[in-house]
Amino acid sequence: MTLYHYLILSAILFVIGMYGLLTRRNAVGVLMSIELMFNAANINFVAFSKFITPNEFIGQIFSIFVITIAAAEAAVGLAIVLLIYRNYKGIEVDNINFMKW
Amino acid sequence: MPSDYAYVGLFLIFGVAFVLITFFFARLLRPSRPNPIKNRSYECGETAVGSAWVQYNVSYYIYALIFVIFDVELVFLFPWAAAYRSLGLFAFVEMFIFIMILVFGLAYAWRKGALKWV
Amino acid sequence: MNLTLIIPEIFLFLWALLILFVDFFTAEEKKHRLGPLSLVGIVITVVLVVFSGQGQAFGEMFSADYYSLSFAIIFLGSAFLAICTSIDFARERIKHQGEYYALILLSTVGMMFLAASRELLSMYVSLELTTISLFVLSAYLKTDLKSSEAGLKYMILGAASSAILLYGISLLYGITGTTVLKGIQAELVGSAFPGPLLVISLVFIIAGFSFKLAAVPFHMWAPDVYEGAPTPITAYLSVASKGAGLAAMVRVFFGSLLPVTSEWIPLFMALATMTMVLGNIVAIRQSNIKRMLAYSSIAQVGYILVALSAASELATTSMILYLLVYMFANIGAFAVVIAFYNHSGTDEICEYAGLSRRSPFLAISLVIFFLSLVGIPPLAGFVGKYLLFLAAIQKGYYWLVGVAVLTSVISLFYYMNVVRQMYFRKPTKNDPVKVSWSLRLALVLSLIGVIAVGVYPDPFVSLISKAASVFVY
Repeated sequence: MTLYHYLILSAILFVIGMYGLLTRRNAVGVLMSIELMFNAANINFVAFSKFITPNEFIGQIFSIFVITIAAAEAAVGLAIVLLIYRNYKGIEVDNINFMKW
Repeated sequence: MPSDYAYVGLFLIFGVAFVLITFFFARLLRPSRPNPIKNRSYECGETAVGSAWVQYNVSYYIYALIFVIFDVELVFLFPWAAAYRSLGLFAFVEMFIFIMILVFGLAYAWRKGALKWV
Repeated sequence: MNLTLIIPEIFLFLWALLILFVDFFTAEEKKHRLGPLSLVGIVITVVLVVFSGQGQAFGEMFSADYYSLSFAIIFLGSAFLAICTSIDFARERIKHQGEYYALILLSTVGMMFLAASRELLSMYVSLELTTISLFVLSAYLKTDLKSSEAGLKYMILGAASSAILLYGISLLYGITGTTVLKGIQAELVGSAFPGPLLVISLVFIIAGFSFKLAAVPFHMWAPDVYEGAPTPITAYLSVASKGAGLAAMVRVFFGSLLPVTSEWIPLFMALATMTMVLGNIVAIRQSNIKRMLAYSSIAQVGYILVALSAASELATTSMILYLLVYMFANIGAFAVVIAFYNHSGTDEICEYAGLSRRSPFLAISLVIFFLSLVGIPPLAGFVGKYLLFLAAIQKGYYWLVGVAVLTSVISLFYYMNVVRQMYFRKPTKNDPVKVSWSLRLALVLSLIGVIAVGVYPDPFVSLISKAASVFVY
């Protein structure tokens, strides 16, 4: 296992997340895709921390912070989705277009 | 380098043009006869019935949200606990402050009635 | 460890908690007094910021210098003005006022940390503190469809942009092996050829920050969020969230990425051109004043990006000064919009017909703010734009400045459309628009700011140029 394996894994995860973000119609699906993108960055951080700076733990600490922030973001996101559900009776993002793009 | 970005721009133009031309020819060639059965959403050949969204009690979600936050904050405690002996008093005080902030959050949720089961 | 340096931030954080605490014990009809209480907190914080010393804390993570000082004052100022404009709005239309003010203060704390951080981790965490508070605030009108839609769109695109930014940061960390900006710069000076990984990471970082700044083509969230969010929050968002993005962006690019300027300057020039052209042209077609101001604020970011691509000491000075000027003019304009909305419940431009006869003070203030946004002397906008364009001309970007001047002329068109409605159309109603003390305070402060910076810019420029000398160009 070299650094490149991890980088390729994270790139694939990031692209899947990006694809989901653009194509998912369900707001919860969109949130999950964003979560994938955060985790792709996390894999990068941990891999770089292991291979580039093995004696310091900056990358690992960074990923711990990212995990908690992503959770906070997901909690706020789900709360807003709940609000949308109450107001629109559905969470299909296509239907939420009260304002024109 | 500006010249490197020129390639990107070239790709962009080709990409957009390719899609537009394909769509244009497809529009020229295809027959267009929509009917209600064709336009219905595909559900493995079955007739689509009802909504996929069933209502749960709202307080269930609020519990879940609070749990997500407090559960994940725990991750900060592990590195601190692992290195507790070498960190000393200062880290202990810092962690105490951190936990007090979390306690404030919990007290806030409690006071706002988010922990009440209805 | 020098903890005294972060006393202002800690104080403001505790003040936000205090407001939540007081909120428990306040009767519903007295809760509007929490607004003035948070104003007091902001004023005390300003004093603390000015008189707390300079230096570094937490290793390289936190640095209190003139740069963070000037941004902190802009952030606190915009929070102050936004809360002033909120008080009536919140009393009538908002439930849970305590959390509302506390969230504004918390996002300000995030911004202050952001401007002071010199390391990517602390920068990222404070950026998230800022934006997550703003997600909640923009969805704050719980039963309003537009507001929840604004919240959803802002949250999805904001979170996605954070993820993109984070991916770029992770690559930058991988290339240089450090997250401290100074260390990154030292690493980049040594390497002769930057390599494709650096280009990818730069593109991701720029895309992530451009979302926060609402630069074209990453602007699509801005008009909807601005229209749907509660108007005082729109005012706050339009200045503070952009300011936060700018503070971080300048810190990252001028503080660490100057050795590889040839890689990112063309990108910024392209972004600036697109942003100025699209923002100004689309603004012409808007019939809702909040949407129009949204596109106008997108266009204003374009002017700032012109200076960002100049990458010099003058450029930094001009950007910070422009942000200050833009804060006064934009929040002032929004204060008029809020006063009008509180009275009549509408944001449509055609409803502004004959405002000059109904409330001459509101109409003339709106005209002054608009003229400042266009950049007509002797108002503050002129000084700001002059310095921005001067920075670009010094680097020889004549065509970019040409586009900027041309689009400024276009912007005159849509601002004057509102002025035409107010002055040359007959009013449909004749009752004067009532303006409360808090809105009046915000209006007067913004007017003083717009005129004072325009007439006598020297003290502001000299203070801000000290902030610009933090970086080595």
